[in-house]
Amino acid sequence: MAAETQSDTDFGEVSQLKGILFEYLSLGASLLGILSLAALLVYVAVDAFGLEAADPLWFLIYFVTLVVPTLGFVGYGVKNRAVGTVGGTSLLYLLGGLAATLALSILFIIFDAQQWLLVYTVGVLPAALVFIYGRMKEWQQANLLTPIVFAVGSMLGVFLKGPLATFPQKWIIYLWTLGVPVAALLGSRALNRDGRDAAVATAVGTLAIAVAAALAGPALTGLNSDVTLLLGLFVGAPTLAYVARVVRTGHDGVAGLLMPVVIFGGMLLGAFVVQQVAVAQPESWVTWSYFTNPPSQLSAEEAGLFPAIVGSVFVITNVAIMTLALGVATSIYLEEYAASSGLLGKITRLIQVNISNLAGVPSVVYGLLGLALFINGLGLGLGIVLVASITLSLLILPIVIISSQEAIRSVPNELRQASYGMGATRWQTIRNVVLPQSLPGILTGTILALGRAIGETAPLLMIGAATTTFAPPTGYFDSVTVMPLQIYAWSSQPSDAFRYGVVAAGVVTLLIVLLTMNSVAILVRNKYQNES
Amino acid sequence: MSQENMTTSDPETTNTESDQLIDTDPGRGGLDESSGRGSVTSANTVIEARNVNVWYNDDQALNDIDMRIPKKQVTAMIGPSGCGKSTFLRCINRMNDLVDAARIEGELLFNGKNVYDSDVDPVALRRRIGMVFQHPNPFPKSIYDNVAYGLRLQGKTDNMDQRVEDALKSAALWDEVKDRLDESGTDLSGGQQQRLCIARAIAPDPEVLLMDEPASALDPVATSQVEDLIADLAEEYTVVIVTHNMQQAARISDKTAVFLTGGELVEFDDTQKIFENPESQRVEDYITGKFG
Repeated sequence: MAAETQSDTDFGEVSQLKGILFEYLSLGASLLGILSLAALLVYVAVDAFGLEAADPLWFLIYFVTLVVPTLGFVGYGVKNRAVGTVGGTSLLYLLGGLAATLALSILFIIFDAQQWLLVYTVGVLPAALVFIYGRMKEWQQANLLTPIVFAVGSMLGVFLKGPLATFPQKWIIYLWTLGVPVAALLGSRALNRDGRDAAVATAVGTLAIAVAAALAGPALTGLNSDVTLLLGLFVGAPTLAYVARVVRTGHDGVAGLLMPVVIFGGMLLGAFVVQQVAVAQPESWVTWSYFTNPPSQLSAEEAGLFPAIVGSVFVITNVAIMTLALGVATSIYLEEYAASSGLLGKITRLIQVNISNLAGVPSVVYGLLGLALFINGLGLGLGIVLVASITLSLLILPIVIISSQEAIRSVPNELRQASYGMGATRWQTIRNVVLPQSLPGILTGTILALGRAIGETAPLLMIGAATTTFAPPTGYFDSVTVMPLQIYAWSSQPSDAFRYGVVAAGVVTLLIVLLTMNSVAILVRNKYQNES
Repeated sequence: MSQENMTTSDPETTNTESDQLIDTDPGRGGLDESSGRGSVTSANTVIEARNVNVWYNDDQALNDIDMRIPKKQVTAMIGPSGCGKSTFLRCINRMNDLVDAARIEGELLFNGKNVYDSDVDPVALRRRIGMVFQHPNPFPKSIYDNVAYGLRLQGKTDNMDQRVEDALKSAALWDEVKDRLDESGTDLSGGQQQRLCIARAIAPDPEVLLMDEPASALDPVATSQVEDLIADLAEEYTVVIVTHNMQQAARISDKTAVFLTGGELVEFDDTQKIFENPESQRVEDYITGKFG
């Protein structure tokens, strides 16, 4: 009726039923995904941390000492942005430093520290100095000289290893090769912000903290002096520098520095109360020994993930280097150099379609490729680090290429035009304009792809990787296992303790590594987006 | 000599070549005066177009352009959208090379040398002909690095601070940014960004400055600042400016070229004559607003 007898003031109604229905359907779909993921995580966490064994009182104690204060602080931080920023940043400094310490400790299990000392001293350090000198003095030849110095020096370092017999202790090597650059880095940041005095104080302070940690750390914590040095260098010094800066500048969010205190204090307080009350604690499978033990097949209590963690980190480092180099080069060629019209343009499009298809090829097929090409074809060993790394690199290369291409394509054409208009060559335009602009996107895509590689099982089984090794690999031709393979091996064990507890702990470890990598991706992206 | 080597040339080689690349050829200067429109004598001609035709795929964008652009004056090119004035501008420093579909015939002489000769390196050419674009496009780098960009490309890294300061002063931006040279160029306002782009273009001291509707994305105040700047720049540089805005052309230019639909150069003469007493009826109709 209304529609037929519309008066001047009656506009009628337009039905929005379909739109509203669609809105709630989409909401439901997203919720379904998130909730099922959360349910899975809770299920795994209950098994991994053995939460079933814990008394309800245990949950209550930690809820009161840890969860409530932390949530309260987070709520305060959300309302008061400055506090929230400082709190989050201080936590990031602590956790980031911890992650760096762990990663470096693992890498130095694989790589020889003495060899690194020589390569660093005659190759990396001179190259870095040449590069920095070139930047400061606007000396263009430095760009050419840097890689030459690096290559020649590194080779010299490798050859020097033989004749030299005595080497300093490991922590002194770390102090020279890692402590000095970190001190210089922190110092130069202080120089930009607060001037010369602050820079010297920061650099000297960093080295002092590192030395103190190496000398006093072992007695206090029972860890090796090289590990305590790394902790002092990557956790202690940057955190202290940050605290000092926040306090001295009178930042509005100075209260945010209490964030780590609230969290770690809550943990300690909870542990203390639990001990006093003597309630049943969870029987967690995720313990320190789980990370440091080899994978026992007999006793679930002694089983550990150590060789698999080292293997995963080693393989992923190699994959990251290979895919970044190859993927970025390929995507730059396809986006910036390859012809887009004519016969060559058709070939480019064909390659493009093929790369997209390769991204969808099942991973087991890549395993077969690795087996045929590297093991049967080139005669490399079964299941060694080198073959595993190359196979996984091939697997994620198409994904890296496609995401890098997207990132490069998103650089505004106006910036390219501006660069060409200034008389830049194509390479100068790529290096000065396109790459810096697309780097966040490239890194995000690459790290997400690496997340896929670290969870792969099938291609590694195809190239004959062992599901269980008892010692971590120490070179490219050692046989290797990775976390998902080890978890898979445990899952077929007859005992329940293996199939539920140990496997769940492995899954939790794998997820933690994945989440850390993704967080790094997000942080890197945000940092570069803020800068540009 | 490097040939069309913008993909492979590195800064060193192009740099040394750029000085000897485009020689003034005295033998070519003596043209018969009848072919040049307007009253530009061959002596002060910097850029000369002879029968320039441009196609994008099968569409002709420029049709037999003959034109002489005089030294150290502002030459404006006006006309309705799609008449080819921007295309012509981009032919001068060979920016159209970057468009796969573009094809050019005829001769375009810069100081008497055809820039489309096979021995001309477009990269070296662009170092002598600066360009400012329609939308301000500073690099997402610091203000200092933006201005220093061309200087670094060309290896002119001595007295860098002074050169950057001079360029920013010439672009009438120095007083506004001298205390924050390390802030990002993209944080400036639109008008400041465009003046930064002008500073960036003139920092390496080009001979000619091409401007592709440099004020069309700016508000009236910023526009008038850029216009004042252009008048000052003409004392040192040859300025060729494409504009949509006829009043702007009338205000700032010494010579005006009117392009009309089909990529034809209909009339090219002193600005005053074009606006007061054009020879062509079509130009008069366009200028008086009967179409366009």
